[in-house]
Amino acid sequence: MRELRYREAIREAMIEEMERDANVFLMGEEVGHYQGAYKVSEGLLTRFGEQRVIDTPIAEAGFAGVGIGAAMTGLRPIVEFMTWNFSFVAFDQIISSAAKVAQMSGGRVPCPIVFRGPNGAAKQVASQHSHSVDPFYTNIPGLWIAMPATPRDAKGLLKAAIRENNPVLFLEGETLYNVKGEVLDEDADEVIPFGKARIAREGDGCTIVAWGRPYYTAMEAAEILAKEHGLQCEIVDPRTLRPLDVDAMVDSVKKTNRCVVVHEHWPYGGPGAEIVDQIQRHAFDWLDAPIERVAALDVPMPYASNLETLVLPTVERVVEAVKKVAYL
Amino acid sequence: MAKIIGLPKLSPTMEEGTLVEWAKKEGDAIEVDDLLAEVETDKATMEFRSFDKGVLLKILAPAGETLAADTPVAIIGEAGEDISALLEQAKGGAKAPAAEPAKEAAPAKAEPAAAPAAASAAPSAAPAAAASESPAPDGRKMASPLVRRLAREEGVDLAEVGGSGPHGRIVKRDLEAFVAGGGSKQSPAAPVSGLSSGPGYERLPARVEKASQMRKTIARRLVESKQTVPHFYLTIDLDASPMIAAREQMNALLKDEKVSFNDLVIKATAVALRRLPEVNASWMDGEIHFHQVVDVSVAVAVADGLVTPVVRDADRKGVLAISREVKELAEKARTKKLKPEEMMNGTFSVSNLGMYGIEEFGAVINPPEGAILAVGALRDDVGVVNGQVAAVKRMKVTMSCDHRVVDGALGARWLAEFKKLLENPMGMLL
Repeated sequence: MRELRYREAIREAMIEEMERDANVFLMGEEVGHYQGAYKVSEGLLTRFGEQRVIDTPIAEAGFAGVGIGAAMTGLRPIVEFMTWNFSFVAFDQIISSAAKVAQMSGGRVPCPIVFRGPNGAAKQVASQHSHSVDPFYTNIPGLWIAMPATPRDAKGLLKAAIRENNPVLFLEGETLYNVKGEVLDEDADEVIPFGKARIAREGDGCTIVAWGRPYYTAMEAAEILAKEHGLQCEIVDPRTLRPLDVDAMVDSVKKTNRCVVVHEHWPYGGPGAEIVDQIQRHAFDWLDAPIERVAALDVPMPYASNLETLVLPTVERVVEAVKKVAYL
Repeated sequence: MAKIIGLPKLSPTMEEGTLVEWAKKEGDAIEVDDLLAEVETDKATMEFRSFDKGVLLKILAPAGETLAADTPVAIIGEAGEDISALLEQAKGGAKAPAAEPAKEAAPAKAEPAAAPAAASAAPSAAPAAAASESPAPDGRKMASPLVRRLAREEGVDLAEVGGSGPHGRIVKRDLEAFVAGGGSKQSPAAPVSGLSSGPGYERLPARVEKASQMRKTIARRLVESKQTVPHFYLTIDLDASPMIAAREQMNALLKDEKVSFNDLVIKATAVALRRLPEVNASWMDGEIHFHQVVDVSVAVAVADGLVTPVVRDADRKGVLAISREVKELAEKARTKKLKPEEMMNGTFSVSNLGMYGIEEFGAVINPPEGAILAVGALRDDVGVVNGQVAAVKRMKVTMSCDHRVVDGALGARWLAEFKKLLENPMGMLL
């Protein structure tokens, strides 16, 4: 085991898959000569050349469409959005083309493409650039969605995403790129399957479902709850939101009898609400309290740093929610 | 800020309590944990202590009153505070825990755009609005889905379980505490009878009273007994004169105390059970448990029902020891001081209505006991004594048997042995 940063894990996954399969290539704004806006693709241009690491104009609708066309004709593109906020310009390409072409061609034309880039709030990038886009895209059948929290999951899931024949949206986090974590050695070739949650922490007091950045918020809250209240939380990170590992969450709730779902997207709908719905239907007779959610507050993201902190899910809010469902 | 203090639930099953005595009077300073009053619950007399600090501004319920849990009983606040609004509120019958007017306005939640501050609900403001801690407005007893399932599986009547969650919701820990505390179980869901009358059935509406915990327990256990235990009844008539003579001899030997006929009946019962131990048995879920001890439950009438304290090892005790024990248990029963373990695990019951002139009756078995003996009155009769017609005393006893454990012939043999013992009390010494 080595320690890698999240960005290095993603880079390694791309290198390994590009080495393995000559059809894999990377395309996006500043991915080549600038080495990536967040230095994720550092060194890739030198290593693979301009044929396979392609700098695009600032035209998301255009290069998303080019990528989808390449996928339809047999290549395996990785299309990087500088942030997922910019994917809105390419919304129609993703939803009307990438998500639909396999179905509309009767399965004859698959679309093995990966769209990836940082998702969610960074630090003071204000309301237009702080979207957590998971609720928008998880609503669309035909798209596979990953939102890894740890470097190891990021690497293993990205390798699976590149090999996947369905279009995959790979939601990273700008504030996660520097996070360090253990990753298997280079020759391990670990491919983490979609639709398989990870039990990040075991416990019998309360299930916390969290993915992406809030996974770390939940882990911190769990330590506080263990120390101050002797309550052991079980943390389930679904890792992929489509497909979603409902069984893992339901099994956990059957054990703990209570559940808090923590997510960075807004509270109206989205995977947070979907998870609550699945759990209440499949574990109804095991619930000792209504399921609580800790989400971003239902407002456009403020620019002010102190307000931004309050809008995002905080450790304190997670602790309070768990105490509420545990009747503490 | 003055507040209304409600009658607390001092036991998990308490629905109402009687204020025996106030320990403070109006104007007294109150510290947290000060004794405010003594409250008699369904189980025992308990201390009602303050959670608040301040001055006892008003006593709303005088000593002696029996009140539902949460009924306003006092107002605590700072000296000289205006409590007229609270008095109005208390008069209006508001339940105490809801009576924190300052919190009801919840201005933070009224802001339309900002949705719930905790982001735990959907953005629509409606669900968050009704966040008071009062019980469900329709009086429904709330329980979590988990608790409802566990109660179903384990046959627990949730009506007897107190809830510690919001709005009195019964949550897992409440059920666990209830079961751990020897909470009673019942066979699942007896069908509801269709006896309820339509409107206008009665000329005057009945006075409706909520059944006490004891009545509910009696109701549940007797329904369980009559619905699940196949009863049959055997009556025997016996000559009571030897028993009367024996009692007179015994009491002549005693100073300041007397044994009763019933004490002799208990002794004879116990000896007969030792001699025919097959009767001292219980049907338990496909098994017959033959008890090695003879523990006789004695039915004792109390103000609002009856209880059955147990005389342990009655076969090994003398009549005087039995007599003293019964007196002590009966006194405890009347003052509600009986501990649950003093009423549990009898092996056979004796119920006596002779003192009311009842000649004979059939009693309901107290499960899981296998039988109960119903004792009738001593009555005058004419009999043949030493070849001469003479006035005699006779008594009838009726044994109710659980046919799963005691068959007719066995019951009859036991009654014959019992009769022999009472007609020849010296036989009990053998």
